[in-house]
Amino acid sequence: MMRRVLVFLVAAVFTLPLLPSGAFGQEPVKLTFWSWRTEDKWAYDRIIRVFEQRNPGIRVEFIPYRNVEYNTILSSALTAGRGPDIIHLRAYGGLETFAAPGFLAPLDVDKVPELKRFPLQTMVGARSRKDGKIYGVPFATQTLVVFYNRKIFREHNLSVPRSWDAFLALMKTLKDKGITPLANGAKEGWTLEVLSGVVAPNFYGGTTFFEAVTRGQTTFRDPTYTNALAKMLDLRPYMPQGFMGVDYATMQQLFLNEQAAMFIGGSWEIGFFKEQNRNLDFDVFPGPPERADQVPWVSSFADGNYGINARTPHMDAAVKFIRFTATTEFGQMFTDLLRQLSAVPGVVVRDPILQHVQAMNRKATPYIMLVGFRWQAPTGSTLLQSALQAMMAGQMTPAQVGDEVTRGLSSWVDAFRR
Amino acid sequence: MPSGGRREGRAEAASPAPAVAGVSGARAPARGLSLQTSRRLWLVIFLGPAVALFATFVTYPIVSALAYSVYGWEGIGRREFVGLGNFVRLFETYPYPRLLANAFWHNVIVFALTMLVQNLAGLGLALILARGPVGARTYRVVFFLPVTLSLVIVGFMWALFLNPVFGIVNKALAAAGLAGLARPWLGDPQTALVTLTLINAWRWLGFPTLVFLAGIQAVPDEYLEAARIDGAGEGEVIRRIILPLLAPSVTIIVTLTFIGAFNWFELPYVVQGVSGPPNRATDVLGLLFYRTAFGEVDTGLQDIGVGSAIAVLMFIVMGAVATFGALYLRRREIELA
Amino acid sequence: MTPASRRPRSLWSPLAHAVLMANAVLVLVPMVLMGLSAFKTTREIFQRPFGLPATWSLANFQRVWVEARFGDYFQNSLIVTVASAAILVVLGAMTGYALGRFQFRGNDLLYVYFLSGLLLPIRLAIIPLFILMRNLNLLDTLWSLILIYAASGLPSAVFILTGFFRTLPADLDSAARIDGASEWVIFTRVMLPLVRPALVIVTIYNVIPIWNDFFFPLVFIKSDRLKTLPLGMTTFFGQYYTDYAALFAGLTLAALPVIALYVVLSQHFIRGLTAGAVKG
Repeated sequence: MMRRVLVFLVAAVFTLPLLPSGAFGQEPVKLTFWSWRTEDKWAYDRIIRVFEQRNPGIRVEFIPYRNVEYNTILSSALTAGRGPDIIHLRAYGGLETFAAPGFLAPLDVDKVPELKRFPLQTMVGARSRKDGKIYGVPFATQTLVVFYNRKIFREHNLSVPRSWDAFLALMKTLKDKGITPLANGAKEGWTLEVLSGVVAPNFYGGTTFFEAVTRGQTTFRDPTYTNALAKMLDLRPYMPQGFMGVDYATMQQLFLNEQAAMFIGGSWEIGFFKEQNRNLDFDVFPGPPERADQVPWVSSFADGNYGINARTPHMDAAVKFIRFTATTEFGQMFTDLLRQLSAVPGVVVRDPILQHVQAMNRKATPYIMLVGFRWQAPTGSTLLQSALQAMMAGQMTPAQVGDEVTRGLSSWVDAFRR
Repeated sequence: MPSGGRREGRAEAASPAPAVAGVSGARAPARGLSLQTSRRLWLVIFLGPAVALFATFVTYPIVSALAYSVYGWEGIGRREFVGLGNFVRLFETYPYPRLLANAFWHNVIVFALTMLVQNLAGLGLALILARGPVGARTYRVVFFLPVTLSLVIVGFMWALFLNPVFGIVNKALAAAGLAGLARPWLGDPQTALVTLTLINAWRWLGFPTLVFLAGIQAVPDEYLEAARIDGAGEGEVIRRIILPLLAPSVTIIVTLTFIGAFNWFELPYVVQGVSGPPNRATDVLGLLFYRTAFGEVDTGLQDIGVGSAIAVLMFIVMGAVATFGALYLRRREIELA
Repeated sequence: MTPASRRPRSLWSPLAHAVLMANAVLVLVPMVLMGLSAFKTTREIFQRPFGLPATWSLANFQRVWVEARFGDYFQNSLIVTVASAAILVVLGAMTGYALGRFQFRGNDLLYVYFLSGLLLPIRLAIIPLFILMRNLNLLDTLWSLILIYAASGLPSAVFILTGFFRTLPADLDSAARIDGASEWVIFTRVMLPLVRPALVIVTIYNVIPIWNDFFFPLVFIKSDRLKTLPLGMTTFFGQYYTDYAALFAGLTLAALPVIALYVVLSQHFIRGLTAGAVKG
């Protein structure tokens, strides 16, 4: 028995590929491009093919990892001086983690002249707070909205609600008719933060409050903010039964299968919904304001950036690719294929739903925690998401949520220390 | 293989302590120097490869990771030496102390509940199976099946069964007229941790069952016969003879359960994600460490310093408990045997 | 003796059988549901999760098999699992023997040293491990996985085996020693056969997590041809993360080899586990 195991082992050992696989010979430069967008691989592959045709000496391989492991893998690799040449990065504080310690190559305007065309506001998510330099090319702007099923609305003679009360009345009508009004659940905290990003800005006064709180003139204990959060509680009766246990995938399935009439989420869902159920007749509307005569605020943010590994051996080729991602041509393909708003200026939006999103963005306010309070740990998002779960479960009041977030943030937001 | 030796072993071990001491006792008398040297050589041969492998691929990386706790960090870049700075932050900066206590308490609950539910049930099943009921062989095979499944499969499957919208559990309750009991098992702060522990028990139950079964079947039949002839009831046989002789199996199971409970990570990670929802109701030390050091999917930043400080604490607490526990159990084992 | 001669008491029997049956159902139902779901479409899984599939289509399996390079991944998993389990069982037995049967200074210290490896998930050392593998030039090789699995499985192996070696009677090896047998012969011919149940426990306890692990392959393996089954499956799920039908087919396919192996070997395995009593 022992001997047989040994023989097998020896055999196995000899068949093992002993050396790391590498490129041989005078091949074209091969760039690796890591990302957490597993679901977008097909689109990136197509866009990359266009780039490769223009630049015959360069090959780019798009390698996506699951979002839950992406940070760990990227951190390990970069710390060990490895990692990809091109890095798909998140924005704001998520970029800072890698930029501040010097793992990313700064992209000045000499290197990537295309960046000059980007509006200043878009670049906030790509700039390091430490040295003020730019470390990435922004790829998309996301907006938080309410998705609704047009067929269900038509069947029940419902129209898009213009005020909060109309919104609640509409949901009551749907519920009375036996339809789950909202697909949203609370099992994954980030979906609750998104929910707050749609509901709250109209009640806390959008950018005015954002500026005040980021400048330290007020805190999240401010009733202006906590009363806005309290509005989320109005939605509880209209969420699926057992909504505390409803996760993101279930939310999507409920809306896709037309089992729920509405879905509060981000503009990145448009492409996914269309791809998953071609017959789904849906559109979007902004989170309803208090009164019908108000123009609603929508939360929006720079989604992320493409950056360059500071230690890439192929800097020239990498810069070439990065410049490509800053062109209108790239942005157009990105928007057409993925149905997301490219961050590149001059892109024409053809998708009607995306056009609606674009129109709403005329009164956009920064997605409050992501833009303002994700710069150090514990982040505002982390604190808010957990506290919102407690609030939705009835364990915390909105005032306690505000207190919890402010207290947690006070470890690095000086103005929040009393 | 001869099982005589094994029985003798038990029989001899019945007289306390010497069993272990005897191992050396037989060899201790001074022999030639060459024997001493050859013994040393053999020790090196037996121990060397394992020590080398373990030191290189476990000790060295873990010590390096623990050492991260005494450095300042800028994102993922290591900076200056800060001494106990990260520990001070961990204990003094809200919300870390609360998260730490919360997670630790959950580990304690998971351990207690696993002992109570999984291991007691395993013992019960083993006692029944040891009596050789019809189909015992099949049952043994079936009970162990879930242990062979990957946690990804187990977690995913149960999450779907417990899904409040699509899941069978609530539907089954409703069908049984118990709709009032239906709840979002994994999303309700009251039930999430218990549910998760039960999923874990479902997956692992076969393991203690088989370990205990092996232990029971190793009990010499003469002992059982003798006790029964003396008129001992079944309960008494179990309490007086089987349980004491089961001590080595109990040590294995208790220790592995303790360790499993305190570095529990995989299942909560697969089922609930890294943030221990809802509102940290399923947070455990393993998740807290991982989340702090590597960030919360895409909303949290990495704090490798504080994360490593959490790991150091886990190491110290578990090390202390495990060392004392193992010593205590080993002593008891010897006394009981 | 055989278990059957343990005189089951009729009084207990109905209750005992009810308990066994209930547990068997509890174990089997979820597994059967998983298998059934592999034949359904995604929409069917969500809308009728517990009914029989509308059609018994193998399309899901086909997709997983073709698109997910199942065969290659399977082979890599097999190599990694067998090699690391073999290393850790051999080294674990040698260590357990030395620690359980030899009295020497530092014995307890070494025992505790190995035990300390049980206290922390090795995953927490991922950054130093990555740097170590880079320095050893082992990144993107199956060796990186084999060495980590073998090393991190050692503590449990040492813990279990040392305990078993300690319970063996003292005169066994001393008798052999007086007969002039070499240490290696005593170890392999006399002692090892006696701890067979423990070897089985150690193997099972370690093989399953090794076979199922996806974390280390995820971090260390970059080439597609070197991916292990769980990693291949995870990557595949990543791209089709809402395609539950394909997911269940993949899960079933991934679970099947282990279950089949276990069922085939179960009699062997259980006999090994309970060897002390079964053979007379």
